Amino acid sequence: MKSAAARAGLAIAALVPLVALALAVGLASGPGSISLAAALRGQEPDATVLFRLRLPRVLLAAEVGAALSVAGVALQALLRNPLADPFVFGLSGGAAIGTALVAVFSGSALAAAASFTGLLPAQLAAVAGALVAALLVFALGRARGQLVPERALLVGVVFNSFASALVLSMEAVLKPEQTQAVLLWLSGTLGYEALPLLAGAAVALLVPALVLTALAGRLNLLALGDEGAAALGVDVPRTRLLAFFAASAAVGVSVAFTGLVGFVGLVVPHAVRLVTGPDHRIVLPASALGGAAFLVLADALARLLFRSLGAEPPVGAVTALLGAPLFIVLLRGRR
Amino acid sequence: MTQLLEGRDLRYRYDAPEAVAGVSLQVSGGEVLGIIGPNAAGKSTLARLCCGLLAPDAGEVLLQGETMQRLSRRERARRVAFLPQQQPADLAFTAREVALMGRAPHLGLWFLEGPRDRELAERALAETDVLALADRPVAQLSGGERQRVFLARAFAQEAALLVLDEPTASLDLAHQVLLVNALRRRARKGGGALLVLHDLALAGVACDRLLLMLQGRVLAEGAAAEVLRADLLSRAYGTQVEVVFDPATGQPLVAPRVDHSR
Repeated sequence: MKSAAARAGLAIAALVPLVALALAVGLASGPGSISLAAALRGQEPDATVLFRLRLPRVLLAAEVGAALSVAGVALQALLRNPLADPFVFGLSGGAAIGTALVAVFSGSALAAAASFTGLLPAQLAAVAGALVAALLVFALGRARGQLVPERALLVGVVFNSFASALVLSMEAVLKPEQTQAVLLWLSGTLGYEALPLLAGAAVALLVPALVLTALAGRLNLLALGDEGAAALGVDVPRTRLLAFFAASAAVGVSVAFTGLVGFVGLVVPHAVRLVTGPDHRIVLPASALGGAAFLVLADALARLLFRSLGAEPPVGAVTALLGAPLFIVLLRGRR
Repeated sequence: MTQLLEGRDLRYRYDAPEAVAGVSLQVSGGEVLGIIGPNAAGKSTLARLCCGLLAPDAGEVLLQGETMQRLSRRERARRVAFLPQQQPADLAFTAREVALMGRAPHLGLWFLEGPRDRELAERALAETDVLALADRPVAQLSGGERQRVFLARAFAQEAALLVLDEPTASLDLAHQVLLVNALRRRARKGGGALLVLHDLALAGVACDRLLLMLQGRVLAEGAAAEVLRADLLSRAYGTQVEVVFDPATGQPLVAPRVDHSR
């Protein structure tokens, strides 16, 4: 029987080449062929296509895939519920309200002020909405000063329903093209961000990822129940709080760039657990790598399929189209 | 003898009335104390107070002479191991991983176990007769097997004091005896245990002293023969009880009287 550290090393050693392969596929795929040698020599248009378009997009997919998967692992552990996804605490609803509000007020002074920061107003509004929702769920999901997961889950689910009703109502008064923009945002899209912004996002995502990795041993003990974990010396309320805010921060940053990319955070952790077992010290880093590889590949496929049809690829839909069959195969393959 | 546990005039209420209403108790090294009493007498609450899962409204708990509140959570967990009444049934972790969790209070920041931790976990699994199931997920085990895996977790914690809430409820007779033997073996090495028990016959055999609780208070305390008396038990449980003595050992045996005419 190998130690947890040895098994984690093994899982990571197996996944790093997979991520590298996914990145290579992501960089190589797209409409029209480019020459790597030409791009490295700075020859146009190959250099622009590779460094300004494909590289940022592939890096963004990797970062967001990793962040959503890690957040999914954390929230599933926190709620002791395998159906928890990164948006379960009302974050998707909050982001949707924010985006829809921007669509309603587009062209106003408010929108102009937001665009000053370099992010699109819709992005800022989505993050603001997601974070307000997280704080709301946190505030309402408490009893006797402690975050109660079941309660927070209920508040999150109810809030998400409320939010989608609100968004539907707003869409009724929007123009068709505005509705289209909101829908596209909600279904998750990858864009082309500047590299410095991506580097900033990577740092902003690394912090919660490290916090969660440090909590991995405690997340394991939470599976024993609150009392079981507390009796082993775990500060259960503090562990919950840290995991909740670390996961929310990771999801918030992801939402800012891509809207709501579904499925990754729900299914990557499950797929990883089917292979590695339930130990979070292995599942967390393995999910980060697996999620990165998965979203990069899903995006590459989305670009191939939808660009040839002349449409903007809905990455959030392709993740599920690709991921659902893959997951069923994994599930069936295991007894 | 070192005093592993001392509770002084403990009080705790969830709502009125008090669940524990002024209980004092001690467990010394080498001693097994049994807490008995009817449902809702405050036994489990008392057990939780004794391992720091609940903080008393009044009174104080000392672990090896030090006030519970002054100890860090991890230090508490190194001094007292707790086995709750109910274990999670749907764990994907293997028996071995669960036993290893008992080592958590002894591990560093990243919770990485060393060879000694794995050795102790394995020994604990052997002690509770589940070593053969070590690599099976706990979710696939029977209720009694699962209970023994969690006992192994408590044993692997290597705390001087064990607080076990209803440890025998899902165990068959042979494994009840196995548990009692394991506890007695630990007691001979200076360990102590506090057991919450429903099985009065087993309580008489397994424990050095018994504490009979009723409505949050201590009704009687002492050796088995002093506590397992027909008058006390009939009063505590509110039903007619007879006590006879095992002719071979002199152990008190409790027999409920059922009125078949009703």
